[in-house]
Amino acid sequence: MKSFLDYVPGDSALHRLNPLTKLALAFGLCTSCFLTRNHALVVGVMLLNLFQAAIAGVLDRSLKMLSALVKLSVVLFLAQLFFVREGRILLALPFGLYITDAGLSFSLLFVLRLVAATMPLAMMLSITRMSDISNALVRGTGIPYKYAFVLTTAIRLIPLFADEMAEIMEAQIARGVEFDTKNFFKKLRLILPLCVPLLISSVRKIEDGAISAELRGFNLRNRNSGYKRYPFGVGDAAVLALCALVMAASVMI
Amino acid sequence: MIKIKDVSFSYEGNPKNALTNVTLEAARGDFLGIIGQSGAGKSTLTRVINGLVPHYYDGVFSGDAAVGGRATLESSPEELARSVGSLFQDIEGQLFASVVDDEVLFGLENFGVPRDEIESRVEYALAAAGISDLRTRAISTLSGGQKQKVAIAAITALKPEIMVLDEPTGELDPQSSRRVFETLRELNEKHGVTIVVVEQKIMMLCEFVSRLAVMNGGRLILEGPVASVLKNAEKLEDAGVNIPRVTTLALRLREHGLYDGEPPANIPEAARMMRTAVHASL
Ligand SMILES: Nc1ncnc2c1ncn2[C@@H]1O[C@H](COP(=O)(O)OP(=O)(O)OP(=O)(O)O)[C@@H](O)[C@H]1O
Ligand SMILES: [Mg+2]
Repeated sequence: MKSFLDYVPGDSALHRLNPLTKLALAFGLCTSCFLTRNHALVVGVMLLNLFQAAIAGVLDRSLKMLSALVKLSVVLFLAQLFFVREGRILLALPFGLYITDAGLSFSLLFVLRLVAATMPLAMMLSITRMSDISNALVRGTGIPYKYAFVLTTAIRLIPLFADEMAEIMEAQIARGVEFDTKNFFKKLRLILPLCVPLLISSVRKIEDGAISAELRGFNLRNRNSGYKRYPFGVGDAAVLALCALVMAASVMI
Repeated sequence: MIKIKDVSFSYEGNPKNALTNVTLEAARGDFLGIIGQSGAGKSTLTRVINGLVPHYYDGVFSGDAAVGGRATLESSPEELARSVGSLFQDIEGQLFASVVDDEVLFGLENFGVPRDEIESRVEYALAAAGISDLRTRAISTLSGGQKQKVAIAAITALKPEIMVLDEPTGELDPQSSRRVFETLRELNEKHGVTIVVVEQKIMMLCEFVSRLAVMNGGRLILEGPVASVLKNAEKLEDAGVNIPRVTTLALRLREHGLYDGEPPANIPEAARMMRTAVHASL
């Protein structure tokens, strides 16, 4: 199964950036979204993401992800909207519900942040190889390889878990369990028992993986084992400057 | 190359013997298939070869095992890994990289292969696994069979003398399974790698391997060249191994004096057998 987190091979300017630059950019953009209270800046980050996606040739994937996020946001937006009671009432509804200007602004910022902050990380993973992330982290920051490996492995396991879950659910559906029920709590009650088989089969897979890593010399690896070098170029400096600029703006406006 | 002598093993917390007095030898260049029903001890036998039993799996071990001249009891699985490459059934869990060539690099980097040798090793491994054209592909976009070949390439890059595979085609369709086995045959014939493989698809297995080992209840009940092992219809049935119908046919034809060769191990041989039998009965 392909997921939004999978790497998409390419040779764009973004692909060739130092992995640490890409990591910094992703975290920088995420942080900016939460630092600022300015709607326009959050939208700006979103557009910047789409611009990156266009350069890296993964625009259609980003748009797909964006539309999925927007759908989720609509629900969250509406739920949030009625909770805020302060501010000037814009629209009064029956049952004591009303919409205020503060509520509108807050809810909008909330979902914009959610959407804009999710994209940079997915974007970064789309254009950076796992091994480059861990190797560059080890080289650049000196953290032990094991930690870097755990980090990238955790990301790698997300789609594997999803696959596994889908498989188990299919097996249950084949036995007549109705997962397509509309009732959320009923669905939860059906899904929860599946977590046990999911855990067992996942643990087994992870154990095989761990043995396999060890047999391939994982424990012998040290900071200088990486074959590739990750030079820091003009492009990296430019991207980091841009990232700093966005962050500065997010604090100031 | 592989010498297992009178090995018994039981896993910790499981009093039943997983292996009982197993003695098995494989010479350099052998292509050995292991068959037997679920729980027969096939996986455990492969773990004896790569040293995971008893180093990684705790339990009671007795007997002797040596691989490539090294006693498995005295070497860590990591040391053994330099001469024994291992692959397990679950493909996904064993791939760590985003892109095919990174996967092959992983082991080379770990074992500290010199920088100027790395590129040629990567090329060698990809070519040997027949996936040179997949070098820059994202692993997540590959089919199950292709992923399995990536895993094989990653091991091959380390130039092991022996390769041990536990149900490498367990999650693959018949056609992809054959391709994986063709890759193994290439490694075996062209590069002289000794191969030990556990496999459920017996018919296919017989076509590729030179020797068969049959496990039943933790014991090695039959071992030898494919044709001579397949002759033991009753023992195979006891072991829960479904013998190919063409083999039963060969044995019946022999009883009736219509055929005197070995049971056929592939389709051309089967055709030859039928021709012989038809001629003999005319
Ligand atoms: N990790 C373990 N801990 C305890 N017992 C185990 C373990 N692995 C296997 N066994 C037991 O050892 C015996 C042999 O198992 P083994 O996995 O070697 O069989 P197998 O022939 O590979 O079966 P399958 O075809 O199902 O893979 C079985 O009785 C099994 O229950
Ligand atoms: Mg097994």
